[in-house]
Amino acid sequence: MSHNSKKRLFVYVLAAAIGYSGVMQPAQAALIGAGQVAAAAAGQEHRSRIAAVIERPAVQAQLQALGLGSADAQARVAALTDDEAAALADRIDSLPAGGDGVIGGLIFVFLVLLFTDILGFTKVFPFTHQMKR
Amino acid sequence: MALGAAGIAAEPEALVAQVYLPQREGSLQVEMLAAGRRNGAFSMTIPPRLGALLAEVAAGNPVLVLQNLSLPWVPLWHYALVVGYDLDKAEILLRSGVTPRLVMPLSTFEHTWQRSKAWGMVALPPGRLPRTAEEAPTVAAAIAFEQSNAPAAARRIYAAALERWPDNLALLLGLGYNAYAAGDVAAAADAFGRAVEVHPQSVPALNDFAFALSALGRHSEARAAAQKALALGGPWQDAVRDTLQRIDAAARAR
Repeated sequence: MSHNSKKRLFVYVLAAAIGYSGVMQPAQAALIGAGQVAAAAAGQEHRSRIAAVIERPAVQAQLQALGLGSADAQARVAALTDDEAAALADRIDSLPAGGDGVIGGLIFVFLVLLFTDILGFTKVFPFTHQMKR
Repeated sequence: MALGAAGIAAEPEALVAQVYLPQREGSLQVEMLAAGRRNGAFSMTIPPRLGALLAEVAAGNPVLVLQNLSLPWVPLWHYALVVGYDLDKAEILLRSGVTPRLVMPLSTFEHTWQRSKAWGMVALPPGRLPRTAEEAPTVAAAIAFEQSNAPAAARRIYAAALERWPDNLALLLGLGYNAYAAGDVAAAADAFGRAVEVHPQSVPALNDFAFALSALGRHSEARAAAQKALALGGPWQDAVRDTLQRIDAAARAR
C-alpha cells in the first residue's frame, strides 16, 4: 500500500467514524433522559427539605447574628446543584431526629456551621463545596 | 449462581475479579449490584423484610442475601443465595459458598440476616421485575442499568416497569430514549407522546416528543411541541432551544 492510499484509507476511516458519531449524537444531546429527570426531581425535593431546616427559628436567629439574611440564605439554597443538595440533605438526614423545631445543642452548632460552610463563611467540613459568588 | 438462575452465563472466576476486594477479603453490596448489571442482569435490592424475601423466592426469583454468621462484635460476613423454604418445618434452603444445598432453621437465618440490616438483592433477566419491587427503587435501578447496558435491554426493563406504573414520567422518558437509541423512532415517539399526555406540563416530555416527531419528519407538530416547552420556562430552556434549532435545521434539510 503506497503512502498516498494509506493516507486516503485513514481519511475514509476517520470520515466514517465522524459520520457514525454524528448519527449517534442527536439522541444523546437533544433528548432529556430518565436519569436527568429523576435527578432534577430528587434535587428539588432535597432543596425544599434544606429550605425547611433554614426556616427553623433557632437557625434563622443564628444566621442573622452572622449577618446573613434568611432570604439570602434561601436564594443560595435554591442555587445549589443537585449533587450539592443531595450531599447536604444526606447529612441532615443522618442527624439524630430533633423533634418539632427542637434541635440539640451540638446538632445546632453542626447545622449552623454547615450552612456557613456552604455560604463560604467558614470551611469546617471537607465535604462542603463553597458557593460560587 | 444468581446470574445462572437469570439465564445469564458467567464464569465464577471472572466474577471474582469484578467484586472481590482483597484488603477486605470480601465484596461490598454495591459491587454485587453493579456486577449483576455489568453482566446484563437487572439487579436491585428487595425490601428488608422476611415477607418480601419469601415472596421473591416463591415467585422463582432467588435472593442473594448478606449474613453475619457471627456476632456483631466479631462479624463474619457471608453472601448466600436463598433458593427455597419450608414454612411447615420452619427451614430455609440456601446455596452457600461451595455448599449447593444448605438447610438452615428459619430462626437462625433471621438472626444472621438481621445483622446485615436484612440486605438482599435479586438479579433478573431484563424485562422481569421483582415481585416486591416498589416504584422509586425500580426507577433508580432501571436508570443504573441503562448506564452500562445496551438500549434494547434497558428498553425491556422500562416497558416491564411501565406495566406496573403506567404514568411514571421517568419510566416513560426512559422507554422512549432507549427505543430511540435502539433505532425504533416510532416507538420512541409513542412513549414520549404518552408522557406528554399524562404530564402535559413536563418540559422534558415535550422536548423529547418534539425531537422524536422531527425525526419522523412531522416538522410542524414537532415545532408546536417545542414551542409549548419553551413557553413553560424552567431549567431545561437551553435544551429546548437546542431542540428547536435541530427541528428547524431538519425541516430546512428536507
